[in-house]
Amino acid sequence: MAGEKTIVCRCEEVTLETIVDTIEQYSCSSREVKLRTRAGMGYCGGRTCRNVIDRIVAATNGEPIKDELQLSYRSPIRPATFEVLGGGHENES
Amino acid sequence: MKVWNLLIVGAGPAGLNAAIAAAGEGLKVKIIDEFNRIGGRLLGQLHQEPNGEWWNGIDVANRLHEKAITLGVKIESGVSVYDLEQSEFGWKVYTSEGMEKTEKLLLATGATEVPTPIPGWTIPGVMSIGAAQVMGNVHRVKPGNTCVIIGANVLSIAIANELRLCGVEVKEIVISQPNSSLTHSGTPEKVMESLLQLTHLAPSVLLRQAGRVAKYIHPSLAVKFYPKNGMNILDIPIKIKTAATEIIGDKKVKGVKTVNIRSNGEIIPNTERITEADFVCIAGGLAPLPELAALTSCEFKFVHELGGHIPLHSERMETNEPNLFVAGNITGVESAKVAMAQGTVAGLTIASEIKGNKKHSDSAIEEALLTVRKEREEALIQFQPNIARARELIYQQFELDWKAESPKRSIS
Amino acid sequence: MRMRVDHHPVLGKQTDRKQVTIFFNGKPYDAYEGDTIASAMMAQGVYALRQHEVSGNARGVYCNIGHCYECRVKVEDRKVVRACLTTVYHGMEIDSLSGFSEGNE
Repeated sequence: MAGEKTIVCRCEEVTLETIVDTIEQYSCSSREVKLRTRAGMGYCGGRTCRNVIDRIVAATNGEPIKDELQLSYRSPIRPATFEVLGGGHENES
Repeated sequence: MKVWNLLIVGAGPAGLNAAIAAAGEGLKVKIIDEFNRIGGRLLGQLHQEPNGEWWNGIDVANRLHEKAITLGVKIESGVSVYDLEQSEFGWKVYTSEGMEKTEKLLLATGATEVPTPIPGWTIPGVMSIGAAQVMGNVHRVKPGNTCVIIGANVLSIAIANELRLCGVEVKEIVISQPNSSLTHSGTPEKVMESLLQLTHLAPSVLLRQAGRVAKYIHPSLAVKFYPKNGMNILDIPIKIKTAATEIIGDKKVKGVKTVNIRSNGEIIPNTERITEADFVCIAGGLAPLPELAALTSCEFKFVHELGGHIPLHSERMETNEPNLFVAGNITGVESAKVAMAQGTVAGLTIASEIKGNKKHSDSAIEEALLTVRKEREEALIQFQPNIARARELIYQQFELDWKAESPKRSIS
Repeated sequence: MRMRVDHHPVLGKQTDRKQVTIFFNGKPYDAYEGDTIASAMMAQGVYALRQHEVSGNARGVYCNIGHCYECRVKVEDRKVVRACLTTVYHGMEIDSLSGFSEGNE
């Protein structure tokens, strides 16, 4: 219902329709959905939509959600300025 | 640079209690949290216990905060963690305020809200139910005078009452659009099923009223006879046969488009209408927030009853990663009281590892474990049925994978 | 518009906080010490805090606890911060982020 109007990933504005179409076309995992559509790849690091994407993938593929995290986390897990990463203190709070 | 005995990420119920337990055993402890106040999810909580007394999360948080400070715990708010690294002495933790060194690391990062996406949910004025709770109870700001809540579950009903206490008119609680891929509880029947399983344990008079109907009838019947216009609980209409289809507005939310639906989720034609509201809340439930554990080689499990992916851990809150511990909702979504009890277990376990006074600590840990079980049994809010059983399986799996002599095997 | 919960039936009253002035996109707004940028702006009925960098759609506070980054704003023309985690101070200058001009990330 209203898949083309339902944004799932807010950061990258990826819709439910795009995600479901991608899963159906490539019968793929959450990780592949992310790489193909950018869903879960935005500023928040997928924190907001990752659980939803896992559910959509599981429901569309008719498989249970796997134990391994399909959408991996990589450091830095918060967007950081180069100064912070370099050990300085000018930072996003 | 100072090396802490224990660094805790998250100053919520689990983190604070862990710090109190560990500092009580003489450890040098520091807690960091990225929110600008101490208390985590406790801060928003406000509900009536069965004995009529209010559970005021702010008071609880303040008490724990003071106790921790009295015991010499260093607490910093407004600090975010970016990365973790194993080192010869334990862990290096990279934060927005520089690097911290610690022997033991406890992740008590809690849970995050799971949204139920719907057209228009990015419009300003649409927020997660927890966001509205924090705005009202913590910041003492009403997000608006009127609101519609999308998602009928124990958490949303409890927070609806809290918003009412802040002077917000909650116009209605409706369910999210029936779409099995976006939500686990799509149809009215599923919603009723989960509400019925939970209401006899649920907080305050408000949920008990809903539960009264429930005890005697089967969910499908309860749905069948559930009034089309919803049931009022403390003036809040809960409409499980009404589903939101779209949130309208542009730079600011205007309202919610809804339709009436049958028990199986089927839309009843020509029932579309618009409920105007100043703000709209999305209530899709909670999931553990394991991102920091995911930066390590911690083993993960997906456990539906516990809300999602959790780091595999022992009952004593150890993970398979040396010197890495977890407590609170990162291990599964449960009440703040369970999180507090788990925090004590983690703090004592860590103190025992550092101090090595096994005999003294074992009995203290056993006692703390009993408290966890007791709090779990008595919990007012049970987010999912069968939590205790799911927990047992996790502890068994941990023992099998990481404690037994034999190589790693699986019982799933 | 003023949306403060000064009197709460259970939490009691909260009327003794010091008032400060903050500037959002150049306009002055009243706030209280202890407010976050997000709570101060919401109390004034300002919901839209930034524009999506590609579509330009308005965005505001979503999670209110630092998870979603939807409320990020620019402070003192220099730092990008989460409005929901950042405490205000007197004279603070806050600006919206608009499409394709995200500042120092």
